Amino acid sequence: MIKCVIWDLDNTLLAGVYLEDEHPACDPLLARVLGDLASRGILQAIASKNPPEAADYAARLLGHEFAAVRCDWAAKSAAVGSIVAELGLQPQEAAFVDDDAMERAQVAFTLPDVVVLEPRDMADAATWPQFSPPVITEEARRRGELYLQRRARHAEAKAFGGSVAEFLRYSRTAVRIAPAGPADLARLHELSVRTHQFNSSGVEVTADDFAKLLAAPDQQVITVRLSDKFGDDGIVGGCVLATARWRMPLLMMSCRALGRGVIDALLTWACATAREAGASQLVVPCVINSRNVPLRVALTSAGFRASNDTGDTGGTKTPRTADYIRLLDQPLPDLPEWVTW
Amino acid sequence: MTREQVEGEIRQILGDLTGRQLRPGLPAETPLLRAGVGLDSLGATLMLTRVRERFGVDVADEDLNLDSLASIGTLATFVSQRLERAT
Repeated sequence: MIKCVIWDLDNTLLAGVYLEDEHPACDPLLARVLGDLASRGILQAIASKNPPEAADYAARLLGHEFAAVRCDWAAKSAAVGSIVAELGLQPQEAAFVDDDAMERAQVAFTLPDVVVLEPRDMADAATWPQFSPPVITEEARRRGELYLQRRARHAEAKAFGGSVAEFLRYSRTAVRIAPAGPADLARLHELSVRTHQFNSSGVEVTADDFAKLLAAPDQQVITVRLSDKFGDDGIVGGCVLATARWRMPLLMMSCRALGRGVIDALLTWACATAREAGASQLVVPCVINSRNVPLRVALTSAGFRASNDTGDTGGTKTPRTADYIRLLDQPLPDLPEWVTW
Repeated sequence: MTREQVEGEIRQILGDLTGRQLRPGLPAETPLLRAGVGLDSLGATLMLTRVRERFGVDVADEDLNLDSLASIGTLATFVSQRLERAT
């Protein structure tokens, strides 16, 4: 699934060359495609060999705030690579559109997983499945805006003198853990598809599946909402808790919420809930792959230990998994006051 | 490659990732995460990717508890032991 389209400006989004033509217009067809893709929750970014004012000019012309902008004279692959990193994406989740065959070749060679397209492909590409998310949630519609808030947050965090915890408090961070309701199921499904770095199962869970879990007496479906003074991120994570055996078959978080205490809060909440119910341990079964290493770092930092490693399953359909177990007779960390449930 | 060389290169990678030169005298027991060198979970993942590219050792695949991320020294020891075993 493509999460971000990175556009060139000259003779691509602009019908002309910024530094040569006086006030070039935007390409009307591509402007429409851009607006359409943005409304599906796909982020829009600029990588252009131009002064930074060119991006402001294009943003005004198109009436669109871009999620990330690289206007400089570095190689296009460097621009694309750093946008992918800034937005927390995998290369295969980004598309790059440029009219210049040399630039396309340079990006395709250096970043072979990025989808490289010509401007004239774009009207058609917008109908391809990888540009058509199955559900478009409120969070998706506001995604571009959320990334702008994130940029403001990062800028302020960089200038802030104190610790991370102090910054989270200063920015009036609020993490709210609550049982899911029917209105949350589309977003939970979307998280199960879109999250990779913080996803314990790696399996798509449909809204129907979540509805069944919601109705089951021994399953809890949990959402985590996140907001601060920069904006409201909505539901950024969730989990399913099987309360008969205190196992967590699904744990997931958007990497947009990274570094804001969400995963630690959710794990501490789950451990505290299990302990109150008399459980001696909480088990998080987790697939072992190269993409979810951040989740495994979070689990082990929260005191979980791996066991029952299935090992390499040799290309069979069942992926390698291990049980991450937290013993509940050991003390749990104190949660900051801005985490509520 | 000696263990000291491995540790030297790991310090260099850490310097690249954190965007600042590590203090030369920084003890090997310095934790990699949080208050120590200051890596978060994503930073730790980037570290492990760089280690895999440089040394061909897939720490995240072999050390499920990621105990080797405890400090600069534990990571250097884990990598150099795997390198020795491979030769």
